[in-house]
Amino acid sequence: MNIKNTQHTVLYEKNTLVNSYETQEKITWCSGCGNHAIRNALIDALALENLTQQDVILCYDIGCNGNEADKITANTLHGLHGRVLPLAAGVKLAQPNTVVIAQAGDGATFSEGIGHLVHAVRSDYPLVFLLHNNHNYALTTGQPSALTPCGAKRSATDGHTPQRPLHPMQLIMSLEPSFYARGFSGEREQLTELIRHGIHHHGFACVEVLQSCPTYAKEADNSYYWERIRQIENRTHYDINSYADALILAHEDAKNGTFHTGVLYTNTTQKSEYLHYQSTRKDLSTEPWAEVTPRDVSPLLARL
Amino acid sequence: MKRILIAGESGGGIVSTGEIVARALKNLGYWVVTEREFPSLIQGGHASYSVSFADEPLYGLSQRCDILLSLSKIGLQSFLPRLIDGGYLVHGYERLSGIQPELAECERRRIQVVHVRSREKAMELGGTELVKNMILLGMLWKTLGLPLPALESEITQQFGSKPALLAVDLTCAQWGYSAVQQQKSLLPPTQNPPLSLLTGNHAIALGAIQAGVRLYAAYPMSPSTGILKHLAEYADAYNLIVKQAEDEITAVSLVLGANYAGTRALTATSGGGFDLMTETLSLAMITETPLVIVLCQRPGPATGLPTWTAQSDVHLALYAGHGEGARVVLSVSDPADSFTLIQTALNISEQAQVPVILLSEKQICEHLYTVETSSLEAFPIERNLTAEPPVAAEKPTHGLRYQLTESGISPRWVPTKAPSVFCANSDEHTPDGTLTEDASVASSMYKKRIQKLNHIRDHLIPPPEYIGPPEPNIAFIGFGSNKNIMQDVISLMSIKGVQVGYLHFPCLSPLDTKAISTLQEQCKGRIHLIEGNATGQFGQLIEQHCGPLFRGKLLKWDGRPFYQEEVIEYIEHYINS
Ligand code: SF4
Repeated sequence: MNIKNTQHTVLYEKNTLVNSYETQEKITWCSGCGNHAIRNALIDALALENLTQQDVILCYDIGCNGNEADKITANTLHGLHGRVLPLAAGVKLAQPNTVVIAQAGDGATFSEGIGHLVHAVRSDYPLVFLLHNNHNYALTTGQPSALTPCGAKRSATDGHTPQRPLHPMQLIMSLEPSFYARGFSGEREQLTELIRHGIHHHGFACVEVLQSCPTYAKEADNSYYWERIRQIENRTHYDINSYADALILAHEDAKNGTFHTGVLYTNTTQKSEYLHYQSTRKDLSTEPWAEVTPRDVSPLLARL
Repeated sequence: MKRILIAGESGGGIVSTGEIVARALKNLGYWVVTEREFPSLIQGGHASYSVSFADEPLYGLSQRCDILLSLSKIGLQSFLPRLIDGGYLVHGYERLSGIQPELAECERRRIQVVHVRSREKAMELGGTELVKNMILLGMLWKTLGLPLPALESEITQQFGSKPALLAVDLTCAQWGYSAVQQQKSLLPPTQNPPLSLLTGNHAIALGAIQAGVRLYAAYPMSPSTGILKHLAEYADAYNLIVKQAEDEITAVSLVLGANYAGTRALTATSGGGFDLMTETLSLAMITETPLVIVLCQRPGPATGLPTWTAQSDVHLALYAGHGEGARVVLSVSDPADSFTLIQTALNISEQAQVPVILLSEKQICEHLYTVETSSLEAFPIERNLTAEPPVAAEKPTHGLRYQLTESGISPRWVPTKAPSVFCANSDEHTPDGTLTEDASVASSMYKKRIQKLNHIRDHLIPPPEYIGPPEPNIAFIGFGSNKNIMQDVISLMSIKGVQVGYLHFPCLSPLDTKAISTLQEQCKGRIHLIEGNATGQFGQLIEQHCGPLFRGKLLKWDGRPFYQEEVIEYIEHYINS
């Protein structure tokens, strides 16, 4: 068994950039919630990338993760349940030079937001998407999500989740994404690195985070994950640029109940990113937010 | 005024034929209004395209026609009753025995029949069956007594991209023209100021570009799709981002996100798509993010009459979305104010940081109208942005995005482009955007957002417009395309000695009640409502504010716009009783 130290090694705490993202606001997550570590990893990643408040916009869905929106000193947009991806894509289209990070839980993403997810992958919007996968609807007190394992104890069921779950990597890999990574809230340093990879990726960077929710997903505590987590570096004959390898991996993880972590797939050859394909904006150095000026259409009107 | 009705089968080239006629007439200096009736099919079913034209300003529609151009037997049979006695029937039907009753009717009603066997002739001249329309066009043009070059140049415009076909089209049109005996002009052209011929959707697309819209996201839905089509056409020239989204929720979310991030984005839809957008409308209210949605009306509920017109989504625009907050509902009446009101909508939305719903109607969206080119006015862009936001004393990193002010409108800036951060929170929040559940803060924020309506009503909305003589015998209140029909009716009735007034509202909400009080002083007890729906939705809003007001209501909900005859009949009935 691959047991690791679950204590956080706080490497970047003294960095002034890290401090600039902190606030005095009281964080409202349960103690032991994986969101604390995800938030720290995110701040670390931003600081390590030397990104200031002028370089990044954070977009939030509704769910426990979304309660971060005012608990971080950054430009934030807290939207509606399931809708964060198109909202963040809109932000990105207006400010293509800004790093835009969208966060949402598994409840929102794989139910109300599933159409948005499919099309965000297809459009390959240049966003970092942090998928907080805690296998339940935590903010509404622990109902099963579409990712809750069959049989797991949740509220609003007769005690046990009756349906089989979706497997996020299997679903997303079937859509031919350009980037897929998986991390764990109990492994903050690796998660920081995965978010940094996502920031560097040109296209839709989906980072699934296995997030412990000790309050409602009691069966999936840290030791549950440690037992099932496998480092991708340890997998033999695995090429992270091979779509076939990634499909097989997704299938095996789903079947075996294991979770490989690391950057699991990147496609660096195919250019599909939505902004890249904006032929209408070729050779333009300005960004739409700065382009709101009158355009004289009177010559067109005179011709009609 | 003369009216040409082109009738035939849906998909039989009616629209291209109608557009050639409309443009050629406009180029000769006539005022033109078109109306298209078609079933929600791509092919089959009878359809019509009417072109009304006049040598003076022309606004509304009539049911009757002076000339019927029939492209098929079914068109002839369905629309002959609308042709006036003494009018002209232009057709190319071959088997005359099949239309004996109709031809007999023409003789009885002194209708001049202009006929050749158009299909045979078109084939003979080297064309396909569809090219018969060009022969019929030539015949129509001669019947109107108009010069051939005006028609030829429009045919060249329409089909210029296919030179081989164009040559046949022109030959056929010329042949059709020469096949009819010389006529004197039915309505000689006069000098008019420069006119533009465009649809409401086209005008909204151009107005949006004029007003600095940089991103347009929408999902196809009749009758709003034309806006998407036009903006996609202009995207290259103006470096626009035009996104056909996967659904209306996505479209409106993209727009809201883009507006938050400081650009101007726009979306449009029809009733069903608007239903899907309402959750985001509510998000725009609490985050005070500018948002403009163009709502192109057609009859519902549900799929309803998808290709017909209505004014039945007033309540939807006024009340959609959960919670309470401020919003503005504007309504266009023709392509000229479609061009100006979209600019106003975008300005108000940014000035007051509220959602603005701009209502249009299928009749305006998809039909060509001439407007004076000079009336297509460009307005300055008003953004109400600050470069240096005020900050909270106790939290200097955070800008006071929701600062309490007298008007309720707070400082707004472009996130990442100012020193302090911008937290837009869909939860109730303090002036710096931090979540709060404190009763007194929540209450004052809630009030601040609604309070903006006073400022909007007093300073930002376009005022109501009164048309007609003072102290009329009868007055109407309305919005949207009814302005057009009322303008025609006012002049037609004044010839008959009846003074008709009309109070038009380009802004439905917040309601400017002053003009209603003035009208009440002038003709108390003689005020009527005109609306294209069954329940008088705008009238209900007015009576909520002003108390019982309407002597009568002229309502229509069959998918058709109002016609002159109906309004005149209503007035005459009222005056005589
Ligand atoms: S309920 Fe679960 S996800 Fe929500 S804060 Fe508590 S531990 Fe975290």
